[in-house]
Amino acid sequence: MNTFLYLTRRVLQAIAVILIVTVATFCLLHALPGGPARGILGPQATAQQIAQFNHEQRLDQPLPVQYFAYLGRLLHGNLGTSYTLNEPVSQLITERLPKTLVLTVLSAAVGLLLAIPLGMWQAVRRNKPVDYIITTLSFVAYSTPVYFLGLMLVLVFSHILPWFPAQAPQGDTLGQVFADPAALVLPVVAGAASVVAVFSRYMRGATLENLSEDYVRTARAGGSRRAAILRRHVFRNSLTPVVAMLGYYVPVLFGGALVVEQLFNYPGMGLLFWTAAQSSDYPVLLGCVLVISVATVIGTLAADVIQRFIDPRVKEDRA
Amino acid sequence: MTATDRSTTAAAGSTEPVLRLEDLGVTFSSETGDVPAVQGVSLYVRPGETLALVGESGSGKSTVALASIGLLPENARATGSALLGSTDVVASSERDLAALRGRTVSMVFQEPATALDPLTRIGAQIAEVVRNHRRIAAKEADALAVDLLRRVGIPDPERRARAFPFELSGGQRQRVVIAMAIANDPGLLIADEPTTALDVTVQAEILDLLRRLAVESGTGVLLVTHNMGVVADFADRVAVMLQGRIVETGPVEDVLLRPEHEYTKRLLAAVPRLAVAEAGQGTAAESGPESEAGASAADVPRPRYGTRAKTARPAGDPAEGERVVDLKDVSVVYGRRTNAVRALDGVSLHVRPGETVGLVGESGSGKSTAARVALGLIRPTSGSVTLFGSDLRRTRARARRSLRSGIGVVLQDPVASLDARMTVQECIAEPLRVHRRGMSAKERQDRVAELLERVRLPRAFAQRAPRELSGGQRQRVSLARALALAPRLLVADEPTSALDVSVQEAVLEVITELQEELGFACLFVSHDLAVVQHFAERVVVMRAGRIEEQGGTMATLLHPGTEYTRRLLAAVPVPDPVLQRQRRAARHAAAATAAGTAGPAAGGAGATA
Repeated sequence: MNTFLYLTRRVLQAIAVILIVTVATFCLLHALPGGPARGILGPQATAQQIAQFNHEQRLDQPLPVQYFAYLGRLLHGNLGTSYTLNEPVSQLITERLPKTLVLTVLSAAVGLLLAIPLGMWQAVRRNKPVDYIITTLSFVAYSTPVYFLGLMLVLVFSHILPWFPAQAPQGDTLGQVFADPAALVLPVVAGAASVVAVFSRYMRGATLENLSEDYVRTARAGGSRRAAILRRHVFRNSLTPVVAMLGYYVPVLFGGALVVEQLFNYPGMGLLFWTAAQSSDYPVLLGCVLVISVATVIGTLAADVIQRFIDPRVKEDRA
Repeated sequence: MTATDRSTTAAAGSTEPVLRLEDLGVTFSSETGDVPAVQGVSLYVRPGETLALVGESGSGKSTVALASIGLLPENARATGSALLGSTDVVASSERDLAALRGRTVSMVFQEPATALDPLTRIGAQIAEVVRNHRRIAAKEADALAVDLLRRVGIPDPERRARAFPFELSGGQRQRVVIAMAIANDPGLLIADEPTTALDVTVQAEILDLLRRLAVESGTGVLLVTHNMGVVADFADRVAVMLQGRIVETGPVEDVLLRPEHEYTKRLLAAVPRLAVAEAGQGTAAESGPESEAGASAADVPRPRYGTRAKTARPAGDPAEGERVVDLKDVSVVYGRRTNAVRALDGVSLHVRPGETVGLVGESGSGKSTAARVALGLIRPTSGSVTLFGSDLRRTRARARRSLRSGIGVVLQDPVASLDARMTVQECIAEPLRVHRRGMSAKERQDRVAELLERVRLPRAFAQRAPRELSGGQRQRVSLARALALAPRLLVADEPTSALDVSVQEAVLEVITELQEELGFACLFVSHDLAVVQHFAERVVVMRAGRIEEQGGTMATLLHPGTEYTRRLLAAVPVPDPVLQRQRRAARHAAAATAAGTAGPAAGGAGATA
């Protein structure tokens, strides 16, 4: 199958997945007790006030009608208006999404840059002290909640050792964010910790598997040295399963951002989601979920395409 | 050296050996303690000669090969010495060994499917070996890689150098591995079962290639194999291994034709020999009329397994109309439109009660697919399948299930075909639980014990786990399971391909005896023409999803009616060095004539290898 056909099919699949996600989240959010009116107007609101609010916001119409109305607006780029902030959701998200992307992409990049060599190193030194130490640290990093890890980072590297600021950059534009790189260090480290823990395990496993492959023996029989075999052959072969996992890790990264942004007071999408969830701000919640699910779908799509690029066999299999 | 070696005198005085093992020992350390795999092995390989190291699985022959190139696994310890020229591999560091490997000594492995890095272009993999040992520019190494591909007979090497391994057939991949091995003209080439994973015709081509390369450059070859035909075809000298020791060494004619050691005799006796009609082939008679060719052709057509005379029985055809399974004009197509693959194309075959039909062909010929259609596991795209008189298309699911209980199945892989979490008892009893619901636990137990005895395994095995059994024992458990429901048809798909010859012989004998006793018919799928010749009454030769020819085994395999069968038979190496040399010459002569009359056909055959 040629690349164009393949991509078309994958994109159509992705759109179907996103539609299903919108249906699911829409239903879930409407199933919550209290409903949005109670959340916005507060516990003192009268039944009449609630009915009026519901009517104004068209919340009294049947759910399918509400859903399709929402979907129709979506197609025009209209994600509705925030109940609490009185601003268009699309605007709220476009302001904050880039900042969250900076945080998540940096966390993922830093995490992978550490995880991949660490995992390979562990595999090469299997069952030696280095392997045990990194494995232990991985489990600690993975099982420590992000907020606790973040607090410890602030305590140690901001209060005890005044190396980095305890707050993330506060600027509204990306330029302002990047103007203060030191302030980004602790949030990115907090976000990267679980990436390192998870992906070093994947990489270790994949490398061990590949080291026992016949082609490694063939390369050794041809006089290639161990380092060269790792670099030329094992690395790329081990990377394919790791890349495949990366797509599925996108929502985890966003989930991490939720906590990290809250902790370091970084006005990104995580913080937006957090406040919206606390005030039952439906349009914002639906908008954020949609953006995250789109990001996840794009992530898996990208992972598949990259895999297709690394591994020539993938093309044949799909044919 | 304690083993009989009748070649030492001949060796003295000639050139310095490229490999000399002195009292080599290899011990594997495991959780349960040390396991000695190789003990006191001494041998040598001179430039330009081929020493075959033969033995059954577990004899330590591969371990000797790996020790000679310093590629033993990490839990292995070597003692003694393995001299490559003046360097002792046993005492060398990894760094020194890397400098030797690929230049002084190189290796070709058994499994071409996995021997190459799947993500690296083959040209680059060959160039890597070149540049490991020569300081030359990348461009130059790439050009050398193309030359090497040409030398090993890859067509259109400039373009193929940019191919990935998965784009090549098994035979071509093995050629690439060989190109890597000869890239720096090593003095010693170690080939560990280099053709075991390949079809016979491809095997013949790869052996020809290895022989030509060894002769051209005077390379010594250490050939590890279990196949006596390959030994006869290729080796100058033979060393026979048993339980980690060499028990007999000598020139190939002596060891294969006049073995001295008891074990060698037994091993050779267990090898199924392909009966060949040498008299009909003029070329063979011309090349060496004074040899034993005539004798071995004359004494061969005899039944081998069990006691009955297989060839005599079906002549009368007591039940011409009655057929246990009947495939009529069956086609199986996978995929649609342009991607459609015809796995079977108009296949008609049948099995009569009590008879054994051998289904032979190379990999991809559709023989296993045909067997699965007979089992009702694959629904044919067109054509009809009649099982025990009922058309499978017209039967309901439940009826089909009960029909299927009349078939027993034995598959190739003795490890994968038994559930590791079940006991032998549970494995054998499973079909009884499914199809004989009314049976009590006690009755089932008795039946399992009876079945174990039938396949000549002790009753006590019922409580064992499959992993505690050897490959041959597992296949007998599979057989017991297949026979649990007293089937009228046994479908055996390469049941002995993973087994050593002596074990193969035992398993086939059990099947034959039980068949005589219980009277079931047998559809026997195999790539091994010699086994089929001795085991089946009728044979069906398949090629590319079609039936090439079918008929009585002896008639078809001694006097094949089609060119394809003739080529298939000619490619099988027989375990007689003198006879095999003639057969090879005859095959080459035939190929030359074919190339002369129909050039493109020969080119096509080369491309598919």
